Amino acid sequence: MSGFGAALLNSLDIGLLLFVIAVGLNIVFGVLNVINFAHGALYMLGAYLAYTLINLVGLSFWPTLLLAPLGVAAVAVLIDRLVLRFIYQRDVADSLLLTFALLLIINESVRSIWGSGIHVVEPPPILQGTVRVFGGPSYPIYSLFVILVGLLLLAGLWYLFNRTRVGRIMRAAALDRDMAEALGINTKRVVTGVFAFGAWLAAVGGAVAAPMRAIDPGMGDKIIIESFIVVVIGGLGSFPGALIGALALGLMHGFGGRYMPEINMLLPFVGMALVLLFKPTGIMGKGATA
Amino acid sequence: MQLLKPARLLMTLVAVTGLAGAPAWADDDPIRIGAIYILSGSAANYGKFAQQGIQLAIDEINQDGGVMGRDLEVITEDSQGKASVAIQAARKLVYQDQADVLMGLDSSGVAQGLVPVMPELKKPLIITHAATPDVTGKLCNAYTYRISNNVAQNMKAAAIIAGETGAKRWTTIGPDYAFGHQSWEFFGKALKEANPDVELMSDTAFPRFGAEDFTPFINGVMAAKPDGVLISVWGGDLVNFVRQANNLGFFEQDMEIMFTVGAATEVLSALGEQMPEGVWLSTRYWYDGFDNDVNKRFVSAYIDRYGVPPSYNAEGAYAAVYAYKKAIESAGSTDGDKLAQTLSGMSLDAPNGTIAFRAGDHQALVGPNWGKSGPMNEKHGIRTLADLRIFDGEKVSRTIEETGCQL
Amino acid sequence: MKQTILLGALLVALIGLVALPWFAPYFYIFIVTEILIMGLFAASFNLVFGYTGMLSFGHAAFFGVGCYATAMTLLHLKWPFLYCLVLSVGAGALLALVIGFFSVRLNEVYFAMLTLAFGMMVFSVAHHWRSVTNGSDGIAGFTLGDFGLGLDLTLGNPAVYYHVVLVFVVVAAAVLYLIGRSSFGMILQAIRQNPERVAFCGLNVRSYRLAAFTLGGAFAGLAGGLMAPFLRVASPEMLHWSTSAEPVLMSILGGTGYFLGPFVGSAMFILLETWITSITQAWMLFLGIVLALMVMFFRRGLLGTFLDWWLERK
Repeated sequence: MSGFGAALLNSLDIGLLLFVIAVGLNIVFGVLNVINFAHGALYMLGAYLAYTLINLVGLSFWPTLLLAPLGVAAVAVLIDRLVLRFIYQRDVADSLLLTFALLLIINESVRSIWGSGIHVVEPPPILQGTVRVFGGPSYPIYSLFVILVGLLLLAGLWYLFNRTRVGRIMRAAALDRDMAEALGINTKRVVTGVFAFGAWLAAVGGAVAAPMRAIDPGMGDKIIIESFIVVVIGGLGSFPGALIGALALGLMHGFGGRYMPEINMLLPFVGMALVLLFKPTGIMGKGATA
Repeated sequence: MQLLKPARLLMTLVAVTGLAGAPAWADDDPIRIGAIYILSGSAANYGKFAQQGIQLAIDEINQDGGVMGRDLEVITEDSQGKASVAIQAARKLVYQDQADVLMGLDSSGVAQGLVPVMPELKKPLIITHAATPDVTGKLCNAYTYRISNNVAQNMKAAAIIAGETGAKRWTTIGPDYAFGHQSWEFFGKALKEANPDVELMSDTAFPRFGAEDFTPFINGVMAAKPDGVLISVWGGDLVNFVRQANNLGFFEQDMEIMFTVGAATEVLSALGEQMPEGVWLSTRYWYDGFDNDVNKRFVSAYIDRYGVPPSYNAEGAYAAVYAYKKAIESAGSTDGDKLAQTLSGMSLDAPNGTIAFRAGDHQALVGPNWGKSGPMNEKHGIRTLADLRIFDGEKVSRTIEETGCQL
Repeated sequence: MKQTILLGALLVALIGLVALPWFAPYFYIFIVTEILIMGLFAASFNLVFGYTGMLSFGHAAFFGVGCYATAMTLLHLKWPFLYCLVLSVGAGALLALVIGFFSVRLNEVYFAMLTLAFGMMVFSVAHHWRSVTNGSDGIAGFTLGDFGLGLDLTLGNPAVYYHVVLVFVVVAAAVLYLIGRSSFGMILQAIRQNPERVAFCGLNVRSYRLAAFTLGGAFAGLAGGLMAPFLRVASPEMLHWSTSAEPVLMSILGGTGYFLGPFVGSAMFILLETWITSITQAWMLFLGIVLALMVMFFRRGLLGTFLDWWLERK
């Protein structure tokens, strides 16, 4: 496989992982008008729970992939009921500040529970090693698995948003909050459900990332800014936007790291600023006022 | 907007005066060591090992009657790997906690920031980990010492090994700050001097410190097909790097691979079997590389207490405490200026042999330990080092003139 | 009556601050120096946020640029310190003018995101342009020479430097206060409350927002310039978004509705940090809880909540 092919696959696996995480951020913003600064911390929590279940409890990888995100969703329910309910009616700036406080709390709790060391989770045996893709040199099976998970979630979310009543209401609410209000969907239970669902997506990302990233208390902070970039480029609140933004950022990393390491770090922010300047609502954003 | 709000000033003042009572000093007060390490983020484990090394040394010394009849005590601050934080921490340790001596520092960037401030603080500092040659080179000063080896020493040794492998085209993957760049610079210089026909490739990779994803860099190096790669990635980054490199088949390529800080037990224990066999790993100190009484006692006490073998950072920290004990006893005082003078040229029996702080630049002449990763040590869950080579500190050190240090 | 009490308290506090080096140990001189500089940084942010209603997540860019400007001129050109500070103010203002020109047209979360993006761009440049900025190691090892104006000051002495900082911060704070009280400041507050109405009055909202943003950048640049000799290093993390978050937190803690709120926030932040980190390493946990409670229940901040209550009391 050429360097180009490797970079392309690399872009896909980074991009789809980011999509899973960022789409959760986007759904929460779209429906609840909350920019969740703690989204990265929830991603980290997913990875830590996966580490705990696999390495300390002794569970195998597959049930962990189900249980860890559910655990984080449960935490999210608590966060929603105890903390966020105070600020749903306020400015979006307040949600940024409050969730930033949550980020600090979760980060420090993780550090005191699991320590500040680096933890590692092994991929399940069936996903270890490499395969040849397109007849070229080898590519890690686990990265292909990440791509597969991303595609499955993409399909699942598409089905949810287009073919189910709940999903259509959520999508409608994301695009037009007033109408959602008129439909009366902003009941307590829906709000909690949406927030927990967003957290669940972040944690799925964390659990999937656990076997390929070092798990340490700084991992959430790294991902949150990336997620911001993704949702801004794609369009805040837009579901296809999250996909496009994630793939765009994946390409910037995959190819930028390979061919333009000097400006690799700069590139995503330039992209983010350009989108905000020329189409503040994002590539896929519709009509919402800037 | 309302009028000026003075309450905060009052509050500050009350707070300040309320807390201002400095601890009364007496002769039976403990001697305070101020330690500055990375205690958070992906390199936090290094700080933990250093703290363990310090505590072990202090407990041993205190059980033995302390230093001049006074106990030792340590106060540890987190540098967060940032120079600005470390400088603030040093000021707090000296002015608030009344630390008599300072030690620590994990990162070259932190060392470059803090070392120029030492003459203001007027306390000795023994660096136990940070490796930039500059702090015992052009930035050297009367108060700054280093007990661990530096990039120049380690890369001189690396170049000797690299020369023996016969590999001609070399490149590097290193963190994008002083440490990564200086490692490559000193390695290249030493290698070129000994083997003028080697090629130092322009295709190098410097991912930023803390980068999550090294795959593009690994792919890039593999595509460039070098004969040898010098890898100076360290800490949590190194754990990430090795796992991703394994996935990409990086270690199955026909290349010589040298990790300049690969045999840190912090990293080896996180990686376990994932650290491939047969690659060159370096460390400032390898726990079963020294057959002397000090080392035997240190290693067995350390394993008894913490259950794992000591890392080089634990050893450096442990040795630095003993260095201060010796310096305080021979100076007969804890005065910063006197101690700083006493340390110059002083020698010490450390776990890695008898070492001395060279008077001309305050660098301890210690040689790096290089070995090839061998079979697993099942008991401790880390790779062993085969073909271990302990370099002679004198032979790999720069001359005083080369360091550019003027004391 | 209450005005008099407040003014009196302020005067006492000021005298206390001036006299600090004569009664407080060295360590507290450092602490208060930091409080003053960060307070000015937070107050410069509050001109943008508290007065004009723009939540910027890139304010560290101006602070950091000011810090680099002073550090680099001290290192390479060895200018007198005063000239370095003038340069820092100019650098902060110029950068804010450029970033503001693009950013102030956006509102709310889009403004926050765009300033975040610009701030991180500046961070990336400082991080990567090793030949100029020395990369992530930053600029260190510079020495302090003369102050300028023929004044004979030993800036290396922490007590002297503290007094220099105190003078600059008090003068800058007074200027910021007067700006807030001027008709210009009133218009900024009107923009925060109702931009449409201001626009109906025939005023160009965007120009006013840009002017506020640039002024905020200038004062942040001054704070950065004062920070460089204090920290002895200018490094990229001073430009990072997490540094941008600090004045936000300080303003919220102290209160965005009163001029001195950010200074109170700065004092709270730094004093709590100093005390709590000496007890436990979980300072961030504590900060997170305090911040959450503030946002949930005391959105006016510590000073704001107290003064609202005290001024309304008969």
